[in-house]
Amino acid sequence: MDIQNTQSQMRKGVLEFCILSIIRHGEAYPSDIVEKMKAANLHILEGTLYPLLTRLKNAGLLTYRWVESNSGPPRKYFSMTEAGLGFYEKLEATWEELANAVKTLTDITPETSPIENTETSTPNNNQ
Amino acid sequence: MKKVININFQGRVVPIEETAYDMLKQYIDSLQQYFAAEEGSDEIINDIEGRIAELFSETLKKGSTCITDADVEAIINSMGRPADFEADEINVQAKVENESQKNKEEYSRKESQMPPPPHRLYRDENDKVIAGVCAGLANYFNLDRVVIRVLFVIFFGALFIPYLILWIVVPSTATTAIGSFRKRLYRDPDNSMIGGVCSGLAHYFNINVWIPRVLFLLPFITFLFKWSHIGPWSFPSLINFSFSPGAAIIYIILWIAIPEAKSTSEKLEMKGEKIDVNSIKSTIQQDLSGVKDRAKKFGEEVKERAQEIGATISERSSAIGREAASSARKTGGGLGRVIILLFKIFAYFVVACIIISLVIALLSIGVLFAGFLPYKIYILQDGWQTVFLWGTLLLFIWVPVIGIITWIIRRLAKTKNHSAFMTYTFIALWTLGWASLILLISSVSRDLSARNTPIEQTIPLSNPTVQKLEIRNDSKNDDFITGRNWNFRPFSNFDQDTLFVKNINIRIVKAENDSFSVRMLKVSNGASREQANMLANKISYPMYQKDTFLLLGRGIAITPSDKFRNQQIFLTIAVPVGKRILINDEVERNGSFQVGINDFGYYRWRVGEDGKYDWDDDVEYIMTENGLKPVYPDMDDDIHEPSLPTGPKSDSVYRYQQPTQKTDSLKKVSASRKEKETNSKWDFSTIVMQRFLI
Repeated sequence: MDIQNTQSQMRKGVLEFCILSIIRHGEAYPSDIVEKMKAANLHILEGTLYPLLTRLKNAGLLTYRWVESNSGPPRKYFSMTEAGLGFYEKLEATWEELANAVKTLTDITPETSPIENTETSTPNNNQ
Repeated sequence: MKKVININFQGRVVPIEETAYDMLKQYIDSLQQYFAAEEGSDEIINDIEGRIAELFSETLKKGSTCITDADVEAIINSMGRPADFEADEINVQAKVENESQKNKEEYSRKESQMPPPPHRLYRDENDKVIAGVCAGLANYFNLDRVVIRVLFVIFFGALFIPYLILWIVVPSTATTAIGSFRKRLYRDPDNSMIGGVCSGLAHYFNINVWIPRVLFLLPFITFLFKWSHIGPWSFPSLINFSFSPGAAIIYIILWIAIPEAKSTSEKLEMKGEKIDVNSIKSTIQQDLSGVKDRAKKFGEEVKERAQEIGATISERSSAIGREAASSARKTGGGLGRVIILLFKIFAYFVVACIIISLVIALLSIGVLFAGFLPYKIYILQDGWQTVFLWGTLLLFIWVPVIGIITWIIRRLAKTKNHSAFMTYTFIALWTLGWASLILLISSVSRDLSARNTPIEQTIPLSNPTVQKLEIRNDSKNDDFITGRNWNFRPFSNFDQDTLFVKNINIRIVKAENDSFSVRMLKVSNGASREQANMLANKISYPMYQKDTFLLLGRGIAITPSDKFRNQQIFLTIAVPVGKRILINDEVERNGSFQVGINDFGYYRWRVGEDGKYDWDDDVEYIMTENGLKPVYPDMDDDIHEPSLPTGPKSDSVYRYQQPTQKTDSLKKVSASRKEKETNSKWDFSTIVMQRFLI
């Protein structure tokens, strides 16, 4: 079992979900997204964000328009497509399900587990 | 003082320090590399460049005159380096909690505590005494590491070098942790001429690309420097050229064996940490620090284990009567492991030997075949036989060679995925090769299956009454071509459209009258008796007498239309009693008189009337009533055989007549010693015919 892979899989899904949820509220500029995520204590490198946005855009979930900027080249502002909205809603539902499930499971305290009791009792029987 | 340059970056002119520009360029190159495999990589790079341009203009707006190193560095840090992207995707928690460093260490420790995947050999970082080789081997073979360590200690002398090699070659488990990229050999698809092998090698050894390229091209160019000399002309040895495809084969093997760097992490691995003397040294130094402690630990471990084994043994001996079964299983396990290990080592050794000898054998057959190719048209018919020959050469010989070497390299390079497709392709091709070989052999042996009816004919001699006959090559025809390193006998002489085969057997018998006579028996194989007879009749072997010399021709002429069907000549030279014969040593040297495809091969030309003579070249023999005797029995032949001028000269006849009379007494002495009865009526041709009819 490769822990790297698991973690990266976990995070990838969540990252996309978070980015979509930010863009859902209105057009967003990549560095704004980074700022918002930073404010929520979820750090992301811009170098990681750009490819993610491109992937989402290529998948038809996002679209963008060029906006002239007075501080440098024109900026790309991303907004959500219809498909992106549907995608986001599905993700949201899944996230809630998952969050509940994970919370329920991780809250179970070890002493209530019946399996361990039986295991510890077997050697005693032998002696 | 720094030089400032203006660059056009994302449609804007940006003044930037030259060093900062270099840094920026390097960074963007690394991004390009990282995203090369990604769909829409140009767009991503463009977006990132746009963002950088924006940050630049912000900096410039604040009043900076130009972009400095520090600015670029800050931007790169905020964007992240390719290596950070990987870590970022994995280690998000670490970053959030602002303890990235600590967590990374903990993580890597956890990671390396997990047993490495069994199909790859690692040096175990956590349980090492010197470098973790033994522990790694133990993990790999699923054995007790103590057993392996003890073996290494016992066979210290023999296993020292393998240990060092494994130390350097086998990666440490530490390298599987995040962030450090172990360098591996990949083909570089971005910088390739053919398959990217050379640039991959260049990355691996951290050298310029042109070095491996030139090395691979060198064998193709060297033929320009090797010259063949034929007569007065010299020309580039194209034969050598066509026989040195080694580099191409190595290239192809590497091409197949080395995986292509497709993903970004593979590309980074390809260019990974420099492997040079320093990095090896630092690894070794790292490993050596703390050897003492670990050795102590190991000693304790061995002690414990020994006690354990001792305890088990004593337990076992005491429990023989009662609980034999369960305790026997316990110790049997430990003992069995050692036996299995020894067996495994032995098996691996045997397998390695077999594989190596197989490769060498196939390679030599391949080389032999390559040497044989120019003679192909003289033996094989066009059409199917040629197809079978190529099938045999390419599929039967080279496919397994390439396959085995590929397999070895893949094993050494620890290429992960075994491609079943490739295995089946190799097996299928090799089966085809076997089929071609069998068909080739059966087809050729059918062409050789029949034999002719031997007929012996007498060769007229111009002066059969000379005192001495010296057999030598016809010097006019002595120039012949052979490869420098191979000499595929008996095909020593080779013209443009004619092959001269020296499949010639010489036999000396006693003449019944007082003059020399030569008889020639022509034999040949063929697809049918008629064909064999036809081929035998076609044999024309020029030989003539000049003064005391019997000059032999260059060989049996074989043309591509008539083919070589083991045509042979048996020359029977009858020597009258009291006369001499000498066979010049170059007769044998310049061609083979030994090779025959069937059982004629053993008739060396020294065959005498009563079987075999212990014949020496360049030694004069005299025919007596009891057979041949050397003229100077007790003396070194070199003294009595001055080197002769190439052309036959008439004075040599007189010069050699003088010692003839001198040694007549010697001859008589040796003749009286002879008691063995010889069968002078021994008819050679009947013997040959018998052999033919068997």
